Amino acid sequence: MPFIKRGASTPVTESKPGEATAPHIAALSSPDAEMRWGAARALGGVAAAVPVLAAALDGEQNPRVREAIMTALMRIGDEASVRTLLPYLRSQDARQRSAAIETLQALPGAVEPFVAALLGDADTDVRLLATELARNMPPKHATLVLCDLLKKESHPNVCAAAVEVLAEVGTRDALPTLKACAERFANVPFLPFAIEATIARISSTES
Amino acid sequence: MVPPDVPVARAVLIAQDDVRRLCEFLYRRTGMSFDDSKRYFIDRRLAERIAATGSGSFQSYFATLRADAGHEIEHLVNAFTVNETYFYREDHQLRCMTSHLLSDLLRRKRTGDSIRIWSIPCSTGEEPYSIAMWLMENWSEVDNYNIEIVASDIDTRALKAAAEGIYGARALMRLSRDMIERYFERIDDGRVRIDPGLRDSVQFTQANLVDGPDMTRYRDFDIVFCRNVLIYFDDTSRRVAAENLYDCMRPGGYICLGHSETMSRISPLFSVCRYPEAIVYQRPEATDDGS
Ligand SMILES: C[S@@+](CC[C@H](N)C(=O)[O-])C[C@H]1O[C@@H](n2cnc3c(N)ncnc32)[C@H](O)[C@@H]1O
Repeated sequence: MPFIKRGASTPVTESKPGEATAPHIAALSSPDAEMRWGAARALGGVAAAVPVLAAALDGEQNPRVREAIMTALMRIGDEASVRTLLPYLRSQDARQRSAAIETLQALPGAVEPFVAALLGDADTDVRLLATELARNMPPKHATLVLCDLLKKESHPNVCAAAVEVLAEVGTRDALPTLKACAERFANVPFLPFAIEATIARISSTES
Repeated sequence: MVPPDVPVARAVLIAQDDVRRLCEFLYRRTGMSFDDSKRYFIDRRLAERIAATGSGSFQSYFATLRADAGHEIEHLVNAFTVNETYFYREDHQLRCMTSHLLSDLLRRKRTGDSIRIWSIPCSTGEEPYSIAMWLMENWSEVDNYNIEIVASDIDTRALKAAAEGIYGARALMRLSRDMIERYFERIDDGRVRIDPGLRDSVQFTQANLVDGPDMTRYRDFDIVFCRNVLIYFDDTSRRVAAENLYDCMRPGGYICLGHSETMSRISPLFSVCRYPEAIVYQRPEATDDGS
């Protein structure tokens, strides 16, 4: 006799075999959110589905389904998925921007070819967000692209964001650029202070 | 001396690219993400599998693996899992279950209803048995409901050990002598066997957290313990696992993660519930259409 009473029903059913993708693609535009959620989840990893996932993301209002579409794109993780997500970095909706950045951050390899261009974007907010993408890149490369940004960046908030990422991943190669940046922004109260802390951090962790 | 039936791992030269291919293969099947910093861990296990299959080179081993000859995928997965666990691990969460979660869930239940609890991953069984023991010891309502404890893991070897229920001192370190007397029978040299009544309180099954179709077999859980596995996953696998678990739970159901894991950094699907004993996550009760 089990100590703990157990229901007679068997809680586990037979595994469903993998299904074809066509019905899921159709279900992505169903009026029923549950169907769209299931479809987005089933299309994760299906590279051919990127265009339909992109179109679905464009019109999707349900936050849970949006999440599932993002996850599906994350699982595919190719250049086309990255291109689908990039425009959301310009969204007026802060939640959409941060969802896009989180998804892109999980794809450091696929995002890398785009980072330099994003860091040179005309839009300050895009440059600021793009510094986050460097966080998951190999330290040497992250240092390189962030230093390139710091050399020409005029907006102190963007510099501050880059400095913060460098504090985490930067190598000693960043030190001269950081010093120059501190001098350039000597009048901005918070920046030289943040840079000093980052210089100290990099100097102490890397030999 | 190595027993004659255990093949000796011979030094097979494994190139960096081969390690990447293997890790990629493993990642796609399990969600576990190994990078170069784990080379020692990877090389040792890979060498063991190459020896066990009698493959002369990585290439020939990889062909065996891709063909899944002799269930090699299962053996490889079993070799790469980390099964570390023990009884009453993070018991503050068990306390939280009996002091808060169950009473909240009971608001929607009637006497005799089922309460479904899932330990995934359960590894060698210490966690689901701990849940059953804790309920026996600390929850006065235990006989008034149909409590179904399901315990799942991807690792078939661990599941076999779980069903056998034989444990040594390390697994028991957090249990009082009294508890050991009550729920185990001594067999030999410090090892004990779980009481058959307790063993039959738990249903063991194989499940893969990142396999959507596989996870559709599991539904309607009220409480899920998903502890100390997401640390082996990358961000993508964590999100996939979270979405899979969402579908396996009843609205209003709770999920407990390991102490170094936080759902807030993985997915916004669940809401955070802070209790004095633990932080747990809840699948929202209402559907979220249009919100
Ligand atoms: C460290 S143990 C955790 C056991 C227990 N939950 C605890 O906290 O003590 C991790 C377990 O995760 C299992 N695991 C790894 N990947 C899995 C997957 N994709 N699906 C299910 N279980 C998995 C391993 O087989 C291993 O038994």
